[in-house]
Amino acid sequence: MAISSTYLSNPSVTINAVDLSDQCTSAVINYVSEQLENTTFSNTSRSFTSGLYSNTVTVTLYQSYSASETEASIYNLVGTTTTLVLKPTSSAVGATNPSYTLTGAFLSAHTPINASLGELSTIDLTFAGGVLTKATSA
Amino acid sequence: MYTIISPRLGTPGDEFIPEDGVNIDALLDGGLISTDTVKKSSKVKSEPKEQ
Repeated sequence: MAISSTYLSNPSVTINAVDLSDQCTSAVINYVSEQLENTTFSNTSRSFTSGLYSNTVTVTLYQSYSASETEASIYNLVGTTTTLVLKPTSSAVGATNPSYTLTGAFLSAHTPINASLGELSTIDLTFAGGVLTKATSA
Repeated sequence: MYTIISPRLGTPGDEFIPEDGVNIDALLDGGLISTDTVKKSSKVKSEPKEQ
């Protein structure tokens, strides 16, 4: 059994400097280095080297049209780049609560209305590209 | 100078100092911050007057 599993009950999600943690139900950071094959005739196994980084952050937010809420924060970001900051908890940044910052991430799509009868409206956003940095101290 | 309107960015009324990569136009358009500098309106070319 794992000794220190992480149960994310109070993560922090900031999009374009706006703290939307209390509207967020899911957040995924994909930290990806494209793999470029550099296998040669002398190799007996395939070999790869790092190419461009292709990072994404996907979040699910409850939709709200009130002032300062989800729609006001997200709508004007479509077609632009921004910065996202995610932390496992809202506590201070440290070795056990690292901060991940994606700078220059592009938002290509947003669904201002995504509603079904009898359900709270949610939106799924994918921010693509940008440089991901990890900090373990403030 | 930018001023915080939304408590999601900090204390309303305080100065907002944007960090690198923050999209200021989106915050202004969304009504989350305000600025005391007036945006220049885009020039509209007027049609010539008929005589």
